[in-house]
Amino acid sequence: MILRVPPPLPPPNFDPAAASPELARLRNAVAARDWPTISTVFARVDQVTDATLYNSAVWIVAEQTGMEPFLEDLAARETPSTLARTLLACRLIEIGWGIRSNARAPHVSREQFAEFHEYLRRAERILIDVTALQPENLAAWSLRLTTARGLELGQAEARRRYDRAAAHDPNNLPAQRQLLQQLCPKWSGSWEEMHAFANGCMLNAPEGALNAVLVAEGHLERWLDLGRAEGAKYLNQPQVQQELVAAATRSVLHPSFQPRYGWVLAHSTFAMVFSLAGRHQHAAVHFRALGNLASESPWTYLGDPAQAFQRHRAEALAKGAAA
Amino acid sequence: MIRQTEVDGVPTIIAPTPGPMRAGLAFRVGRADETLARGGITHLVEHLALHRHGLTDYHFNGATGAVVTHFYTRGSEDDVVSFLTGVCEGLTDLPLERLETEKQILRTEENSRTPGVTEQLPLWRYGARGFGLLSYPEWGLSELTPDDVKGWVDTWFTRENAVLWIAGEDVPGGLRLRLPGGVRRPLPAPSSALPVAPAYFHGPDNVVVFDAVVGRRTAASLFTGVLERELFRALRQEGGFSYTVGTSYDPRGDGFATITAVADALPEKQGATLGGFIDVLAKLRVGRLEQADLNAARTKAEEPLSHPEAAAAGLPSYAVNLLTGYPNKTHDELRAELHAVDLQDLHEVAVEAMGSALLMVPERHSADWAGFTAAPTSSEQAVHGQGYRSLEDDRVSLVVGAEGVSIVTPHAPATVRFDRCAANLAWPDGGRRLIGDDGITVRIEPTLYAVAPAALAAIDAAVPAAVTVPMPARRPEAVPRPTPQSAAQPAKGRRLEQALMIVLLVLAGIVACLAGLTTAGVASDAETSSDGVTWALVGFVWFFAALLALPAALIARHRRQRAAGTR
Repeated sequence: MILRVPPPLPPPNFDPAAASPELARLRNAVAARDWPTISTVFARVDQVTDATLYNSAVWIVAEQTGMEPFLEDLAARETPSTLARTLLACRLIEIGWGIRSNARAPHVSREQFAEFHEYLRRAERILIDVTALQPENLAAWSLRLTTARGLELGQAEARRRYDRAAAHDPNNLPAQRQLLQQLCPKWSGSWEEMHAFANGCMLNAPEGALNAVLVAEGHLERWLDLGRAEGAKYLNQPQVQQELVAAATRSVLHPSFQPRYGWVLAHSTFAMVFSLAGRHQHAAVHFRALGNLASESPWTYLGDPAQAFQRHRAEALAKGAAA
Repeated sequence: MIRQTEVDGVPTIIAPTPGPMRAGLAFRVGRADETLARGGITHLVEHLALHRHGLTDYHFNGATGAVVTHFYTRGSEDDVVSFLTGVCEGLTDLPLERLETEKQILRTEENSRTPGVTEQLPLWRYGARGFGLLSYPEWGLSELTPDDVKGWVDTWFTRENAVLWIAGEDVPGGLRLRLPGGVRRPLPAPSSALPVAPAYFHGPDNVVVFDAVVGRRTAASLFTGVLERELFRALRQEGGFSYTVGTSYDPRGDGFATITAVADALPEKQGATLGGFIDVLAKLRVGRLEQADLNAARTKAEEPLSHPEAAAAGLPSYAVNLLTGYPNKTHDELRAELHAVDLQDLHEVAVEAMGSALLMVPERHSADWAGFTAAPTSSEQAVHGQGYRSLEDDRVSLVVGAEGVSIVTPHAPATVRFDRCAANLAWPDGGRRLIGDDGITVRIEPTLYAVAPAALAAIDAAVPAAVTVPMPARRPEAVPRPTPQSAAQPAKGRRLEQALMIVLLVLAGIVACLAGLTTAGVASDAETSSDGVTWALVGFVWFFAALLALPAALIARHRRQRAAGTR
């Protein structure tokens, strides 16, 4: 018998633009500070039907260093563009959160907090105006959920902001992902509320929609909180596994699932959560669907995301196929 | 239709009414004309003037407002004549034998009054003078002498400073208004205690209150109606965060008007009430106003104009306009103005309102994230002088200087300069509360600061006599006692902290004793003294003692770090 050893798979492509030519075009326009093209790309993406794509587009602009003067100029014009203002606010949030870092609060200095809050307040003031002018601007509401969390405005205010977004799109995944974070105990929420919210979002969305990924994200948050060893035990509980399988079945594995932008993040999340539980067979399904594409989140929870992804993929494809 | 005539030199306005006659005599004087240290004098005059009507069977009342004091009645022509004649007699011949009794009644009225949620705002906007006095108790009552009261009447309750209104056919026969002569008094100039607007301050935790001062105009009154509709929709209908939402539009008399909006908040929804409130203000400021709201506010404003009693009902405010020199308009003019207002006009009001906005936010919240600046709770500078350390907190001291007094904390000082002192409340036990005209307060308690009696005497001598207010003796339990913590923290948490500190210190003490004994024992024992393991054990016991003492020390330091508020 000849053992056929498959050639090692190449490292994953984490580029969010890889699954979307629009985002690639946007990135070039951002690099060239080409506002007409930037605004055209955004104008072509619907905030409701392509919520995740729109959200990624906002962050592609915001993650570009040195964008502030360009956006400030556009935001200060006589008839300021709400898009430019939203992008500027997102850029300020990005800078602020960079200063805060993702460390737990006790490891963040008082000066870091002060500067972080100042950036968030600047962003928030811009976003107050944007949502006042355009209450249907879902991207701005999502960002206001981020500022509410960073500025510690409390659960009631975060929920109000989410409800404002939900009034225009009850299944807005980017806003739901923000509120899910807020509902975690680390932001003074509770696991019960968080899980209930994730579950509610899944059931409220039509079958084949991406929203069920929130169920997996919620369980990943608990894994993160418990630490790897205890977290793996947690994920392996029959009840949790049942919920994860149901969530995958209802979303990315559902016959009516259409791979709209955001599918990479959803498969990545399911692949990781099943891998961490040692459910390689389940994980393998999602790794196969991903091919060579992946999203950095949530793999960054495991250190070097590329290494972590490759290690778990190799294991899942080997053991998952054999099972 | 309103027609104007004159009764004994007092401008008089008359409008017909089908019901019984009503009448009101209004004077251009109110709380805003007083000083903090003699506050309550207008109210006292109002009570004294009405005293002789105490047992009559017709309906009457008196009201002391910010800039106008009003005497009202309703009844037959004879009743009205008798009431108004009586008020004028009461004013010119005050029943001064009643002075102390009426002061007592006013103090009782003050004590049994429920404070309104909007009561704090004037002090934050105007300080402890003029319009700001509406936030304060009538502290001046105790010091008012018969001469003070007579002087106040001579200055303010004169025929030139009065307007009479009558809802009825004509001036009732035989009516005389015998009032002293004087001059029409101008309105007090508004003071300011707010360096920047929009601003915010902390109030009770169950309510959000907004106020703003804008140019008085029909668009501003309609804007207030629209604001109420928006708040009701956002906070009650959509969010369910509030039960009560209300607004009011109040001309100040000087060509400006105050817009006030209130929304109560469920305990767990305070953040959302505040956030929703701020978003409503933003929506109006950016000009996203709804025509339907304007129409509804207009319909509501027009309603009283088409009432058959409209002219008579408008008499009291017509009288106030006459007194303050604001032009009166006919109902047709008012109706035309209401219809001329468009969304652009409302937007202008919204922008103007935000430029002077003051927001009272629930205790544990802030509004800095929304571009509101914290209203001052401390002073720019401390005075130079002799320092007296706080007996509660080493880092806090009272400074008594030639120019004023300061409480100096590690954060920011609170200073009252003697030449800007609005009141010096003085208790017989030596306690003093100095209030600056900016509203900043310095509390001096000889039980809490090692302050020399001579320093207290120096303060009393330096403060102008006219602002000193002797206060009645306090019950012993009302005099503060030094405790090693600030009063700002909830008592329950403090007690828990204190108990924890004591337990830790006692444990640390026991372990330290044990450590001392072991050290002595080990050191005196020649055989074991060279044994590293034994010494390590001794070291561990000492370490354990220190470990127990450390959190107690941290709690003690934390407690010292808290500073008290100053307004």
